[in-house]
Amino acid sequence: MIAVVAVGAFVVAAVAGAVRLLRGPTLADRVAALDVVLISTMGAIAVDAAESGDTTNLQILVVIAIIGFTATVAASRFIEHEDRRP
Amino acid sequence: MSVVASVFILAGALLAALAGIGVLRFDTAYARFHAAGKASPVAFLLVAIGAAVELGWAGAALLAVASTALVLTLPVGVHLLFRAVHRTTTSDHLRVDDLAGPEQPSLDDQG
Repeated sequence: MIAVVAVGAFVVAAVAGAVRLLRGPTLADRVAALDVVLISTMGAIAVDAAESGDTTNLQILVVIAIIGFTATVAASRFIEHEDRRP
Repeated sequence: MSVVASVFILAGALLAALAGIGVLRFDTAYARFHAAGKASPVAFLLVAIGAAVELGWAGAALLAVASTALVLTLPVGVHLLFRAVHRTTTSDHLRVDDLAGPEQPSLDDQG
């Protein structure tokens, strides 16, 4: 029951992030919204692991955290140099 | 699920929902980044503490690695987003702007 409520809250956060991802208006907003969606996914995976008692899926969390950071840095550098590309 | 784990997980999930609503509802890019970059890592930390209480040492180790990676990297990423927005748009709505003034050297310009 508690896991269902918690995952529901994460789904609310992910849907809100997805709406902002579609709406924009700037590219940086979309990147930040994607971060929120990723962290909601991480939280839902952690709740699922706590509910089932199975630690296998927790390794996904580490990968998501590092991949998400790489994506954010790459996108922000792209945004910064969009106007004065050689 | 134990009471302590339930309280931490529910608090974290509620905070994550608030972060999502903040990202959706705030009206400037800076305010949205605050919701995305401050509330969501704390939300994940709370959920990770709750899950670690429930799972014991094997799960706690992995959750600690994931939390550390998130807490170390997410502020850096969001700061880079802030800087990118500040450099590419006008910031007339800001009352205090510490980044205004001469252009800071970019990482690409050094060396």
